[in-house]
Amino acid sequence: MNPVTRYVKEVEKNLSGMRRIQTSAKIYKVLSIKVDGLEAKLGREPTDAEMEALLAEFGAPADVAASYSAMGAPMHDLVERYLAAVRRRLPEKQAKDIAAELRDGIAGKIEAKEEALGHAASADDVAAILKEFGHPVVVASRYSGRDYLIGPNLYPWFWDAQRVGVGLVFALVMVITAVKALKSERAMAMVITGIGGAIEAAIWMFGVITVVFIVMERTRTDVRIARGWNPKALPQDHIRKPRPLFDTLFALAFDTIFILWWIKVVDFPNDIPGRGNSMELHFAEAWASMHTPILALALLMAAVHVSDIVHPAWSRLRSAVSILGHVGGIAVLWVLGRSGPLVSVTAATEESTRAAELAGSINAVFGYSLAIVGLFWAIGIGVEVWRQVKAMRPTSPHAGVAA
Amino acid sequence: MWHTVYIVHYVEHMPLSPDIIETLRLELRRGALILAVLGALRTEKYGYTLRAELAEQGVEIDEGALYPMLRRLETQGLLTSEWREDAKRQKRFYRLSADGASALSQLTEAWRAMNRAIDGILKEGR
Repeated sequence: MNPVTRYVKEVEKNLSGMRRIQTSAKIYKVLSIKVDGLEAKLGREPTDAEMEALLAEFGAPADVAASYSAMGAPMHDLVERYLAAVRRRLPEKQAKDIAAELRDGIAGKIEAKEEALGHAASADDVAAILKEFGHPVVVASRYSGRDYLIGPNLYPWFWDAQRVGVGLVFALVMVITAVKALKSERAMAMVITGIGGAIEAAIWMFGVITVVFIVMERTRTDVRIARGWNPKALPQDHIRKPRPLFDTLFALAFDTIFILWWIKVVDFPNDIPGRGNSMELHFAEAWASMHTPILALALLMAAVHVSDIVHPAWSRLRSAVSILGHVGGIAVLWVLGRSGPLVSVTAATEESTRAAELAGSINAVFGYSLAIVGLFWAIGIGVEVWRQVKAMRPTSPHAGVAA
Repeated sequence: MWHTVYIVHYVEHMPLSPDIIETLRLELRRGALILAVLGALRTEKYGYTLRAELAEQGVEIDEGALYPMLRRLETQGLLTSEWREDAKRQKRFYRLSADGASALSQLTEAWRAMNRAIDGILKEGR
């Protein structure tokens, strides 16, 4: 029997436990490297005496067994703890197989390290090897096949949806808050509570949209979205830039408050400021006949603003509805303008003369204001008609490219 | 105007971040690694020796990335594997499957065509 094999058998007698064979194989390997080194140095095969000297220098079999057992325990523990950390994050069906393969890969690295060192790897060496292998979370994630919750194909739509969803829910809660505050005696407290509620609702919406997108990612919806687009549906920026979301939300909030006030869900005080409760402002009879047309126009505008959130770009239909709304608005103003006074002021008998004067002034200001509004709407109609004409012309494929 | 001139000058002479180069290098080698692994597994190997052989040829790959890749390629039917005892340890040996051999031949052709094209572009750019 060769001296190295005999020596290893001696060491093995002093080893115990399940790892006896692995440890003796390791010692055999380390000794073989040492013998190869000696042979290379001598330029011939070492004699038995030279082999015995090398083995004596390596240490008494009992001491070597004790030292390798002591080193092996923490090393074994580290590898198993590492594998357990990876395994926890692996799919149950594959966990055992993957862990066995990783164990083999790690053992291979440890062996290579020991060959390079000429002795057994310490716990520090093993820790360094495991660190090089990668964090358990990262290693396990590589087996899942997906490194992200929302991939790069869905990500742009994710932020678009968040912008619209979170913005809309925040605006909605703020409108409800404003309406409640107007009816409440503790308006300030209502507004503060409302802001808190709006933030909470926005966070909820963010979470819900995120979950929806994670599901979409899992069901590969991104592929369908990416394929199902039409270049012809892209915004015609040369006609009008898409409306900023903030502007649309602001307009929608105004529409909502106006409609609620118009249908008398919300009530504003009629008192004229600085005059206590002695004078009140009222709409004249002329408005009563216009109640339904004004409500219809306000609802139409609110619907347009809701559609602007989803599709902020210019379209022929959006433009046509806008023209229709402005024409309707001007028609209402025309009827009101021809119907006489727009507002009346009621007051106690002793102040009736003053009230009549005030009503005259307010009617004059109101009349001019509505005329200016009508003028703006007329300009708006002109602009939209011009855009419609512009949209009919074919655009050059080189439009926007500098000569 | 001087401000603009300064910015243009700065942007033109701005040192290229090593991170950018590293990211580009990683992107460049990502696809090539699969080809290297398939090529190396024309003869049977287990994880550790495969990695060592690739490293010897100048293709370094982390174990943390190699093992999941081997499993993915096996799931795709490009590799076959077998657990066997070797040097007193159970090891998983991988080799190219028939589908894998066909995929390797097609990918090699694509790789060579791309190499020729890019070489041509790089020469023109000189």
